[in-house]
Amino acid sequence: MTIRPATLALVAFFALSMAVFSVFAPRFASPSNIEDLMGGFSFIAILAMGEAFPILTRGIDLSVGAIVALVGMVIFDMSLIFHVPGYVIVPTALAVGALAGAVNGMLIVFVRLQPFIATLATLATYRGIVYAISGRQLVEGLTTTPIRDKWITGIETYFDLGRMLGIGRMVHLPAVPLSFLLMLGVFVILQGVLLFSKFGRSVLTLGGNAEAARLAGLNTGAITVICYAISGVCAGLAGLMLVAKLTTSTEGLGFGMELSAIAAAVIGGVSLSGGVGSMFGPALGAFLLGAILLGLTLLQVSQYTQQIVTGCILLAAVGYDRLLLLRRLRRRLANTG
Amino acid sequence: MTEEDKVAAGDRRNFLKGMMLGSAALTGAASGLFSKLDFAAGELGISQVRADTPQRIKMAFVQYQPHSVSSAWGKGIGEVLATQQIVDYQQLDGQSKLEVQVSLMDTLISQGVQVIFVQPVDSVGIAPSIQKAKRAGINVITLNIDSTEPHAAHVEMNHYFGAMDIAKTMGDAMGGKGKVAIINAPPGIIIRDQRTNGFKDGLKKYHPDIQVVADQSADWDRKKAQDVFNTVYAANPDLAGVYGVNDDMALGAVDIAKEKGLLGKLVIFGNDGETAALESIEAGELTGTQYTDGLQQGRLAAATATVLASGGVTPDAFAQQGHLLMPYIIATKANVATILPYQRW
Amino acid sequence: MDRPLIRGIDLTKVYGDLVALNTANLTVMPGEVRALIGSNGAGKSTLIKILTGAVTPTLGKVEIEGEYAPLGDPREMIRRGVACIYQHSNLAPAMSVLDNIYLGRQPTSHLGLVAVKRQRQAARALLDRHGITLDLDVAVGSLSTVKQKEVEILKALALEARVILMDEPTGWLSASEVGKLHATIRALKDRGVGIVYISHMLDEIFAVCDTVTVMRDGKVIAESAVVDIDRPRVVHLMVGEKLARESEQAGQHKRRPRGTGEVRLGARRLSKHGVFTDVSFDLYAGEILCITGLIGSKRTELLRTLFGADRFDAGTLEIEGKRVSLSSPRGAIAHGMGFLPEDRHREGLMLDLSTNENLAMATLSRFRSGILLSARRLSKSARLMIEALSIQPPDGNRAVRLLSGGNQQKTLLGKWLTLSPRIIILDEPTVGVDVGAKAEIYAILRKERDRGAAVLVVSSDLEEVLTVADRIAVMVSGRLGDVRDAEATDINALVREIGSQAA
Repeated sequence: MTIRPATLALVAFFALSMAVFSVFAPRFASPSNIEDLMGGFSFIAILAMGEAFPILTRGIDLSVGAIVALVGMVIFDMSLIFHVPGYVIVPTALAVGALAGAVNGMLIVFVRLQPFIATLATLATYRGIVYAISGRQLVEGLTTTPIRDKWITGIETYFDLGRMLGIGRMVHLPAVPLSFLLMLGVFVILQGVLLFSKFGRSVLTLGGNAEAARLAGLNTGAITVICYAISGVCAGLAGLMLVAKLTTSTEGLGFGMELSAIAAAVIGGVSLSGGVGSMFGPALGAFLLGAILLGLTLLQVSQYTQQIVTGCILLAAVGYDRLLLLRRLRRRLANTG
Repeated sequence: MTEEDKVAAGDRRNFLKGMMLGSAALTGAASGLFSKLDFAAGELGISQVRADTPQRIKMAFVQYQPHSVSSAWGKGIGEVLATQQIVDYQQLDGQSKLEVQVSLMDTLISQGVQVIFVQPVDSVGIAPSIQKAKRAGINVITLNIDSTEPHAAHVEMNHYFGAMDIAKTMGDAMGGKGKVAIINAPPGIIIRDQRTNGFKDGLKKYHPDIQVVADQSADWDRKKAQDVFNTVYAANPDLAGVYGVNDDMALGAVDIAKEKGLLGKLVIFGNDGETAALESIEAGELTGTQYTDGLQQGRLAAATATVLASGGVTPDAFAQQGHLLMPYIIATKANVATILPYQRW
Repeated sequence: MDRPLIRGIDLTKVYGDLVALNTANLTVMPGEVRALIGSNGAGKSTLIKILTGAVTPTLGKVEIEGEYAPLGDPREMIRRGVACIYQHSNLAPAMSVLDNIYLGRQPTSHLGLVAVKRQRQAARALLDRHGITLDLDVAVGSLSTVKQKEVEILKALALEARVILMDEPTGWLSASEVGKLHATIRALKDRGVGIVYISHMLDEIFAVCDTVTVMRDGKVIAESAVVDIDRPRVVHLMVGEKLARESEQAGQHKRRPRGTGEVRLGARRLSKHGVFTDVSFDLYAGEILCITGLIGSKRTELLRTLFGADRFDAGTLEIEGKRVSLSSPRGAIAHGMGFLPEDRHREGLMLDLSTNENLAMATLSRFRSGILLSARRLSKSARLMIEALSIQPPDGNRAVRLLSGGNQQKTLLGKWLTLSPRIIILDEPTVGVDVGAKAEIYAILRKERDRGAAVLVVSSDLEEVLTVADRIAVMVSGRLGDVRDAEATDINALVREIGSQAA
């Protein structure tokens, strides 16, 4: 497997940012801030990795934020209204995410909607459903009741590595949140599927040349639905992690998160025209965005400037992607004759 | 790939590998991995997670979103803290998103602030962050919107009793009978229950014949309140009173009432006491509101914070959450002139 | 006696009223390279689609190595060893050569994971066996076109194809690359693979093919070994024997070679590197000049430079005696030129807009009323044009997509005629147009000519050329032959010139 130059550039930029912030932003390099980076952005990384699958098929999923809210509200209702035990809620949450994603896929395959339109429609629909099923509106007093189920709140635990390894007295290591470990797990699984399985190759084929995929006999419909389902499951997992962190769910949860997920994926080198990308880029892209956000806040840079910075990085990533494409075309012309 | 390409690629990879390792080493060093060095604080010593000791005190205010109410507090807070000469204060925007507030609080905790003022987007959702702040030795003061997690102090506009008084005054203006609609706050915050319950209990006590026919959320927003009012009025054409749980929403109802020529027939009350509301009362459009001096509220909150910080009071010193209710008046056309310009915000 | 690799037996395909294919038979023996030729609409694509299983025939059977194959199932055909290399690339450009060879069919272990080592070994074996050199790890998108074609061939071979159908394989290749491809084809021949070579390039057919099948109007009209036939005969078969009769009828219309005597457009030694060379001719006002030749003679490319859509590298262009340098079609339009492209759907009409809107497209500024468009004036002008050209249905608000081919073409013509152009250039104006509309279009062209416009028509349809031209020239592989008067033209000489080899 060749490492793409885009990925190397991303890693270099990430390392550079971390270094710069460590030196100039007060407290950036402190263990608690690293904990904040891991704990606060692991779910964005998971969202970005899930989002990468639809983008790889030359589609897009705008509804991931809404799915996060949907799953969050389902968890809220199940836990606080119906008192369902946590070990039932967790798999249900993931199933709801998968189903919501599969609906997107089916709209695209069977109703032949464009991915942009289909996921925009489900974005609105799912948000509507969130309001409709919102336990906070239906039942009095729930708005001020936190979720205490151990299976759920347990997701928000931190592992004190220092103490575990016995070197706690000598070095102060950041505590590793479970969410970060979950993110690593998702990364290993999805990256493995993408790189080593036939399904993964089929996804890249479909995104690279849909007609070729069809003519090669691939079941393009099934592949598409599964890709969107993966996006949905990741959104469900992210929702679970958020609810664990907040001990509650709001109707507006995840609002606008789809943009962060897409930005992280694109910064991570997943091409919007499909067929190019891996899981490493989106995950690293999410943490890069997080590092910049935290770093700039610590530097007391205004939040509006932060958004401008994020926008510029996104532009640079897309521009770099285009540049690589042009270089490839130019090389091909040079090879002719 | 040609041989040259391979060599070049190999070189590139090695260089970047070197860069990565170098940066990792730098970062590792900086994160106090080598506990004698503390790059971040710029000194040699054990890095701390607790708040900074003396020289300058850091405080921050995490708003719900930029708004006249929170701006007034911000101004009041800023005034007092600036006078103290040793306080660094910053104001942050929560963008109406819980996740953003949580992230900002995380960062502030890392930054080593001593006091955080917060106007939570969700009373339950902010609780874990308040817990984390307390563990780090930071005092948290909430403004207007309380949280389920006990903390140092909550300074509010006297929501419950003020709303009861609104109910009383409104009922008087309505002649003791008729239908009212409540245009309410978004769910998930304690202030909503306080103001709604206060209003309803007030009606029960003073004007039991008045009926609440609608209670809908307009998310604190004037435009949304217009839409809500339209709908409610269409369903209840004999509506006699409207209680907007904040001034913005009440003014939204006023806008539509003006359009439909209903101003004389409807009694509309807001809550908060912004300048826009006071002017509307003077113009005879809005009937009344609960006026609290927002600037003063900010100042009092800042005063509390300064005493706590300079006195070295930590969260574990509190037996229970402190509570401060602001004085208020129910402002109507009759007494609005008593509110002087410097008190308007 | 060898068994045929594939046999199409009495294949027929009917779409409603249209008979696309009529009892066509095709046989390919092991190691045979069979050319399949015919003009557009002759039925070649339908035949190929049936053989690959993309289309189910109305009648007929397909036999593969003695067994009847199930029809209309692409996967079955692939399984039985029929592979097709299409004109447009069917590779995933960002994936490696290795991945593309096994596109969609990667060998897997029991976990569903790709068996990379096994794949690589198999690919290496294939490369060695067929003497092709390719770097398995480079991204296909960065390869030259001929190398991409080799990847496609390898993809077909990896399928263990016994018959490979190649549709216009040399479309984007340069001369030297064509040579490389032919060498690969010969190597495949030696291994007993059967190849169907679909092309318009007579040179190539005579260079690499063993046998040729000629189709016209949905029927196979001739089959022959390449050694037993010559170029003129092939062209004759393609365009039809009845041509002689048709040309007599055409003589009924008055010819006006050189029109009014005023040279409207002059091309002086136009050249474009690798495309056409040394093209010179004069186009007079009041005449219709037809340039004919086989597909692939680069006539469209020439036209595009005349209209400013492309640039030429050498030579000059004169309009009404003055040298012009056109950098874009806007400049050409400003000089009074109108251009009807070959692909009217993609480059001429806005299919989802109405007839009125399409007619007004090039002259929108005329209908301006302040900053808005005057719909009233627009529809009035459109109505006049619709009447003049007899566009059916006369409802100007209909989406152009719903019109028949002939009416669409008339709409496209109408768009340009609104400008009252001084020079009208048309590229294959009656492809896909029914007989009635064809006659109408010819009449329109003659009317414009009589009005004083200079008309240049590029057409592969000899019938059409002989019907409508005042003067004729033949373009062969980027070179333009002498221009002669239509009346003085001997059809056989014309045919000979068309089929002649490149200089």
